[in-house]
Amino acid sequence: MTLVKNVTCPICGTLCDDLEVEVEENSIVDVRNACAIGEAKFLNFTDPKHRNLKPLVRKGGELTEVSLDEAVERSAQILAHAQYPILYGWSCTSCQAIRVGIELAEEVGGVIDNTSTVCHGPSILSIQSVGIPTCTLGQVRHRADLVVYWASDPYSAHPRHIERYTSFSDGRFQESEWEHYVTRLRGVLGKKRLSRASARISMREVSIPPIADPKLPPEFETEKRKLIVVDVRKTRSAEIADFFIQVEPNRDFELLQALRLLVKDEELEVDKVAGVPVDLLEEFADILISCNFGIFFFGVGLTMSSGKHRNIDAAIALTKDLNYRTKFAIMPMRGHFNVAGANIVSTWQTGYPFAVDFSHGYPRYNPGETSAVDILQRDESDASLIIASDPVSNFPRNAAQNLVKNPMITIDPVVSPTTMMADVVIPSAFVGIEVEGTAYRMDCVPLPMKKIVEPPKICLPDEEILRRILLQVRQIRQTGGKA
Amino acid sequence: MIVKLHLKKEIHVPVDAESISPDVFAGKLVEEIAELPLWKGNRKVPLKDVFGVEGISGKVTNELVIHIDGNLSKVQRIGSGMTDGEIRIAGDVGMHLGVEMKGGKITVEGNVGSWLGSSMKGGTIEVNKDAGDYIGAPYRGSTEGMRGGTITIHGNAGTEAGRYMKKGLIRIDGDVDQFVGIHLKKGAILVRGNADGRAGAFMTGGKIIICGHLKSLLPTFTIDSMKSKAKVEEEIIKEPFYLFIGDLAEHGSGKLYLAKNKNKHLETHEKLLQ
Repeated sequence: MTLVKNVTCPICGTLCDDLEVEVEENSIVDVRNACAIGEAKFLNFTDPKHRNLKPLVRKGGELTEVSLDEAVERSAQILAHAQYPILYGWSCTSCQAIRVGIELAEEVGGVIDNTSTVCHGPSILSIQSVGIPTCTLGQVRHRADLVVYWASDPYSAHPRHIERYTSFSDGRFQESEWEHYVTRLRGVLGKKRLSRASARISMREVSIPPIADPKLPPEFETEKRKLIVVDVRKTRSAEIADFFIQVEPNRDFELLQALRLLVKDEELEVDKVAGVPVDLLEEFADILISCNFGIFFFGVGLTMSSGKHRNIDAAIALTKDLNYRTKFAIMPMRGHFNVAGANIVSTWQTGYPFAVDFSHGYPRYNPGETSAVDILQRDESDASLIIASDPVSNFPRNAAQNLVKNPMITIDPVVSPTTMMADVVIPSAFVGIEVEGTAYRMDCVPLPMKKIVEPPKICLPDEEILRRILLQVRQIRQTGGKA
Repeated sequence: MIVKLHLKKEIHVPVDAESISPDVFAGKLVEEIAELPLWKGNRKVPLKDVFGVEGISGKVTNELVIHIDGNLSKVQRIGSGMTDGEIRIAGDVGMHLGVEMKGGKITVEGNVGSWLGSSMKGGTIEVNKDAGDYIGAPYRGSTEGMRGGTITIHGNAGTEAGRYMKKGLIRIDGDVDQFVGIHLKKGAILVRGNADGRAGAFMTGGKIIICGHLKSLLPTFTIDSMKSKAKVEEEIIKEPFYLFIGDLAEHGSGKLYLAKNKNKHLETHEKLLQ
């Protein structure tokens, strides 16, 4: 039995790099330090029910097993003859594979887009128009004395984010607050149990306590590290926070703009903004100003609700305004483990972070026009290559319909609705478990992904599969389309 | 001098038709026009592959009229950078119509895609049905908005109409989506229908007049006064308006006129005037 240390977790943008994995005869038997999501992946990724283990090509309406060479050849034929192909996915693979993908997109004159188009794409548009005052997670861990999670629920989606980088982490200049939070959490859970039990005994309905905190708790006067959550509902993260502000759905923009005014010491003419009383907002603005180092972490609740990139414009502008008074930073809570890497590789290769259109031979960029969902909704594409993602489950219905009606190639280690609807399925190896590579954390710090076990023989790395398709496409082009 | 183009058959992949412009057509024979390059997806094809061409071309741009027939909803960039002449489109048309236009006239009978008259500097665009998002707005990352000319939409319009506008006029007869006049610096936007909200966000100057209902006013606007009329160029709209100033978060002094009769939810602001 061997113990592999310092393994980077291939799940979310937090990219925890302190995992320890026990390996016995090319199989993982135990994982330490990982969250529940990470552990589940390491222990179950070989499950044959969910794994693609055969190259498949659709013949006569049925997916039929073929040789890997035939699947690659068919993929190259589809891409070389397409007039406007989409190459989509990329966020769950390595930077090395993304680099080859961009080369392939240029060769076939297609559109290469990554999953940030349906998550933090609006954040990127906003960063491009107003800039971003940000920092690394290390700085947050050691220095931040005020952490605000806005429209993001790290407790459920990035389970070790709070523990590794914010309130529960033991920084050089900031102490961990975990004991305090655990006590409070026990109190909250105890209260819930008590109210449920008493309701059962007395046969009456459970009275719902007020969700939003009506006023600031007394501990805000102390010097300790503080955690605030702003969200539309009381999430698990909100329950452990020092303070929770409930905003009306789709009204974050108004709240952010109002805070900007208050931070500038100006007055509001209304009593309530987005369901939050102005008195409370004034206190919130005071907390923001009076910290030594504050950080906003914002999630998809802000980027994908009404207003989209304008919400982020307002959030970044608020951070900018706060920097006149104190030190403040802002960071998007990236989802997939290498979605930041997909943006970075795309930027250093083409100049643009996502939705890059090579149809004219040079990179063009205009999300709304060249983004995968928009192209599919207008039904403009005639073929697609989907790698390491599942757009059939996630795209709007008519976009998914238009995607599957044209030839579709999928490269994926797992079976998904997208691979089931595909015309070519190429099985690949898991990056970070069966293949090494590089991934970028949400603060754009590159981290190495380790190879822990050998992949099944038929499962090649994404990079190798893409190189083979690229080679075939070049051969078809050189012979004038008759390979 | 009319050059008539008609779409030969329905197209699937987008067509980039930057070369359909009076400036490019002027001084060319019809046979030469038929050979002009277009991008159809990732293939460069001659114009005659997509359009049938007939008529007589002129030598001078201002005498030239281009008439286009068919469903052009996937044809983009028609009239890009045109300086004079006229384009008449009988049906729907795709994105980027009349981008960076400097003069001349474009008329559309049907609907138009997004980025209509993007960063235009002069000329007139008239659309009989609806328009998409980003009317007159610059491309991603640019702050060079509309700098002149007039855009008239007889139907509804999408989000962010007139973003970063510096000069000129946008008239929308129907309803408008969110963020009308975002980052407005100067110039005027007139909306005769209702607005979805967040009108004038980040605006620093200019004028937005909304004759219908505004779903919600941003908290960063302050009431200035009541007006009995609003004026856009030569047109005077005689009805009571609330005049708001903003966006205060940007230290802006833009004017937002909201019709009093359609916006009862703003009555609470009236007491601040006393």
